[in-house]
Amino acid sequence: MSNVLVIAEQSRGTLRKATLSALTAAREVARRTGGGVSALVLGSGAGAAAEELAAHGVPVRLADAPVLAHPLAEAHAPVVAEAARAAGASWVVTAATSYGKDLLPRAAVALGAAVATEVLAIAGDGGEILLRRPMWAGNVIAEVELRTAVKAFSVRPTEFAPAARAPGGSVTPMAVAVDAASLGTRFVELQEVKSERPELTDARVVVAGGRGTKGDFGPLSALADDLGAAVGASRAAVDAGWVPNDWQVGQTGKVVAPDLYVAAGISGAIQHVAGMKGAKVIVAINKDADAPIFQIADYGLVADLFQAVPALRERLKAG
Amino acid sequence: MARLFKGAEYLITEATKDDVFTPEDFSEEQRQIAHTADQFVQEEVTPVLDRLEHQEPGLAAALMRKAGEAGLLMIDAPEAYGGLALDKATSMLAAERMGAAGAFSVSYAAHSGIGTLPLVYYGTEAQKDRYLGKLVTGEWSAAYCLTEPEAGSDALGGKTTATLTPDGKHYLLDGTKQFITNGSFADLFTVFARVDKKHFTAFLVERTTPGLTVGPEEKKLGIKGSSTTPVVFEGAKVPVENVLGEIGKGHKIAFNVLNVGRFKLGAAVTGAAKLAFKTGVAYANARKQFGVPIARFGAIQEKVADLTAGLFAAESLVYRLAGLIDDRLATIPKDAAGYYEAYQQGIEEYAIECAIAKVFCSEVLADVVDEVVQIHGGYGFIQEYPAEKYYRDERINRIFEGTNEINRLLVPGTILRRAMKGELPLQREAMKAMEALMTPSLDELDPSQPFAAERAVLGGLKKTFLVVAGAAVQRYMDALKDEQEVLLALADVAIQVFAIESALLRAEKISPRLPESRRADVAAAVKVHTFSAVEKLAAAARRAAFYVAEGDTLTVLLGGIRRFTKYDASGLLAAKRRLAAAALEGERYPL
Amino acid sequence: MPLKLLVTVKRVEDPESRIKAKPDGSGIVTDGVNYKMNPFDEIAVEEALRLKEKHGGEVVVASLGGAAAMTELRAALAMGADRGLLVRHDGALDPGIVSALLQALVAAERPDLVMLGKQAIDDDQNQAGQMLAARLGWPQATFASKKESLESEAEQKKQPGVAVAADGKRALVVREVDGGVETLEVALPAVVTVDLRLNKPRFASLPGIMKAKKKEVREIPAASLGVELAPSVVVRRLLDPPRRQAGVKVADVAELWTRLHAEAKVL
Repeated sequence: MSNVLVIAEQSRGTLRKATLSALTAAREVARRTGGGVSALVLGSGAGAAAEELAAHGVPVRLADAPVLAHPLAEAHAPVVAEAARAAGASWVVTAATSYGKDLLPRAAVALGAAVATEVLAIAGDGGEILLRRPMWAGNVIAEVELRTAVKAFSVRPTEFAPAARAPGGSVTPMAVAVDAASLGTRFVELQEVKSERPELTDARVVVAGGRGTKGDFGPLSALADDLGAAVGASRAAVDAGWVPNDWQVGQTGKVVAPDLYVAAGISGAIQHVAGMKGAKVIVAINKDADAPIFQIADYGLVADLFQAVPALRERLKAG
Repeated sequence: MARLFKGAEYLITEATKDDVFTPEDFSEEQRQIAHTADQFVQEEVTPVLDRLEHQEPGLAAALMRKAGEAGLLMIDAPEAYGGLALDKATSMLAAERMGAAGAFSVSYAAHSGIGTLPLVYYGTEAQKDRYLGKLVTGEWSAAYCLTEPEAGSDALGGKTTATLTPDGKHYLLDGTKQFITNGSFADLFTVFARVDKKHFTAFLVERTTPGLTVGPEEKKLGIKGSSTTPVVFEGAKVPVENVLGEIGKGHKIAFNVLNVGRFKLGAAVTGAAKLAFKTGVAYANARKQFGVPIARFGAIQEKVADLTAGLFAAESLVYRLAGLIDDRLATIPKDAAGYYEAYQQGIEEYAIECAIAKVFCSEVLADVVDEVVQIHGGYGFIQEYPAEKYYRDERINRIFEGTNEINRLLVPGTILRRAMKGELPLQREAMKAMEALMTPSLDELDPSQPFAAERAVLGGLKKTFLVVAGAAVQRYMDALKDEQEVLLALADVAIQVFAIESALLRAEKISPRLPESRRADVAAAVKVHTFSAVEKLAAAARRAAFYVAEGDTLTVLLGGIRRFTKYDASGLLAAKRRLAAAALEGERYPL
Repeated sequence: MPLKLLVTVKRVEDPESRIKAKPDGSGIVTDGVNYKMNPFDEIAVEEALRLKEKHGGEVVVASLGGAAAMTELRAALAMGADRGLLVRHDGALDPGIVSALLQALVAAERPDLVMLGKQAIDDDQNQAGQMLAARLGWPQATFASKKESLESEAEQKKQPGVAVAADGKRALVVREVDGGVETLEVALPAVVTVDLRLNKPRFASLPGIMKAKKKEVREIPAASLGVELAPSVVVRRLLDPPRRQAGVKVADVAELWTRLHAEAKVL
């Protein structure tokens, strides 16, 4: 049996889209090994998320208990291990989100599983599945073999298309045996970044700025608002304290794959490119004609962003 | 290390690879210190360079304090006063890395070198107690006041006077010092003045001394981020306890400290050159013309190769000199009375090599910044690109710490003086070289030996110096010291010999330990450098020959020079391409 | 309460070096590559030093690998760590082995906090800390960060971002998570992995470097720790990443709009 278990991610009953990419990757493994795919949703009041996932044609086990209300790895990991055993899973798959990255290696220890993180593609078949993952900040892609009986991996959501809706799913509750009193971890608070704009990783359009903004993200934010886009930033801009941490796109920040990525005043360091090269169309606006960003951009405009971006907004309004 | 070499001995004896210290010999601690200096430059200095350029008040002094916190000002000071008493190799390594700090490199060198060392070497315990701790932490910054409006290269020609007050407790200093690095923020000035208008003497003068005023910032061609001001003394009242060293012995302080200053400058400009080089190769890779990166063109590659080879020689030379000095200083018992007296003599022994380091390395930097501008084409001329600033910042290095002319004159001048005193068997060796001139050697090259061609030519290059210098002495005798054109030509020969040999010895020493491809890069660097250096050397030797000889003597001399400077540089083009590829691939100085 | 802190220090390729796969895929080209301490570990060392400065205690740094890793241990000692442990193993490691070896060190050292970089910038695994916490049954707080920026006054004053209670029994850790900043309270002992913006690491001062020479580093053969040393994450080969091709340069904003609108159809 080579069953595959997908660990879903939800928040207050809403399924995260990244889970559907993990489901696609799981199905790819199952197709190659001949096993079945099931999923696990953890949380408190997460029924709606479980139903939503089931609507994608997958049997879902729902571990719903107050002790799982917050995404604490210490509480969630034993449930994952138990569910994997119950499902006869030899593969456990999740999305490489902050939740998945935190949880999966902890759960894997209980299963004696080796883990591959940030998987980009799946190769091989039958007994030998090879996982492609980036190393050295994406300068090299490694083809990795996992040699444990149970194997686990997290997938980079931008690399796998989200699974489509399909019939045949179901939701089955699962008893949760985690004792809240035994936990050494306590959730204190989550300061959510409230934004009218879409999430960086979900946005169809991303407008990003770097050192060239000299700290003034005004024009870029205005363009983003016109386009219904999210705003991103290079590490230089984040480190300078110009914009919040979670705006950072790159190897050490968020990996995005929008339809359109506008990089303004960003030189295009490899660490940044690693986070946005999955975009369908990349536009670069930079004063420096030799900036490396132009080597990967579909459309490059050598110009001062403070002139070009407002001009682009006007052109947009003109339609 | 095997032998202790005397100053300039390299010209008359053969050294082996085991006699030299190389950058590859650095200990783990030394590498960490280099890393700290790199981080200091990258994280503390580079981000504020623009603000430094605009002379933001307090910024340079604040950076000096940060350098102090990092321990970068402690290297040369004794442990008893909060220093680390590290060797010269470490001191040069830090200076080299700080060389990438633009104008702040000059502030750093002025503080930690000529600003602090006079106190270290000549200060009394009381003086060190009072000042040295503050200088090594960066709490205080230091400046060195020698130059005056009418006393530049003629450093002892200053008019500043010191007059003892009737109560015998103070000296009153009167005069104007100019071009004082760190002038606007220094807290302690080492000032040279003549007691009773006669006895050249050094004084430690605090900034707050009544009668001391710091003049306005000079508007400079380059290193605009450093402070350069006049310092005016109008009856500045300095306690007699602040006389540094002995009255009337100020010239020893001035000149001995300059030896270290020159040597340190050689290291610092090498660091500056590596930074400019990095910018240049990165640009060559990024800039496209005719549809390809200009780095693909031989015209650019040749520049990159020549500069790489020059940098390799500069590094080899600086750290060889560090090793020479450290070996000698290591023989002095640390607790001995008169330690610093012996220490000073130990450094003075290598006054010639110190001058060579200053001249050679500053001219390597000049070549680098010039070609980096050229590689940038029109953009090299535009202020928005860093090449322009590197170019302006470079120029001062051939002027201060003794102009390159003064330093060149010092090389043969000192050699001849030591020969006259019998400290260097120059005459005997010159005679031998003359004999060799008459008897053609039948040595065949064994091309299977590494560096066979360089080994083969090196002895001849030394003989070239000896025969030309011998001819010059014969022609002018004692008056040679006034024949500056001849002395400059001799200096060029001596400088190139030291550079060629240093690069060769380093390559011989490190090659067995290197992976094959890196070994080939090093061999290429040696070939490229030796070729161009031998060309320069031969031209200088011929120039000198025409200056000092005529008729048959000239013919014999020119024939000898031709034979002694014959260098088989087969494979030169391939070596250049290889070296350029290594530099362009890594986008930095590759060795 | 004084704290005992165990911090990992991995020797990795300098991110400034150019990394590329060998043509045969058997590894990376190491010619001309420099090595340094994993930057995330450097942040972990810095955080541990700040905690020690605030609470007292001891910072022990540990590295797993070949003899060369001594350089990075010395670098951490030069920053101010008190002593080092070098678990010698010359073969390949994976996060499972790393966490098992660290577990053995924890058993011997009994630290209050184990601090690790969230990942090493060579293999980018991001697993060892989580696995170590699982093996120990300790709470974990991954991706530690702080709310204040790296330009803030708190950072200038080198205050720790991880807030350990005065009794040394609990710690508040701010984490960078998707969509916001989360705060967890963990009971000590615990495992913390650190993210990029927790602090700006100090550089080793020269006196620190000289003192580090004399600090103790104990070498421990990996084989002596009773851990199975056969990796179960095995890299079969390395490939170059797919490269995106450069597109076209447009003349002006009007052309850009036309292209995006008519050609790419994204506007």
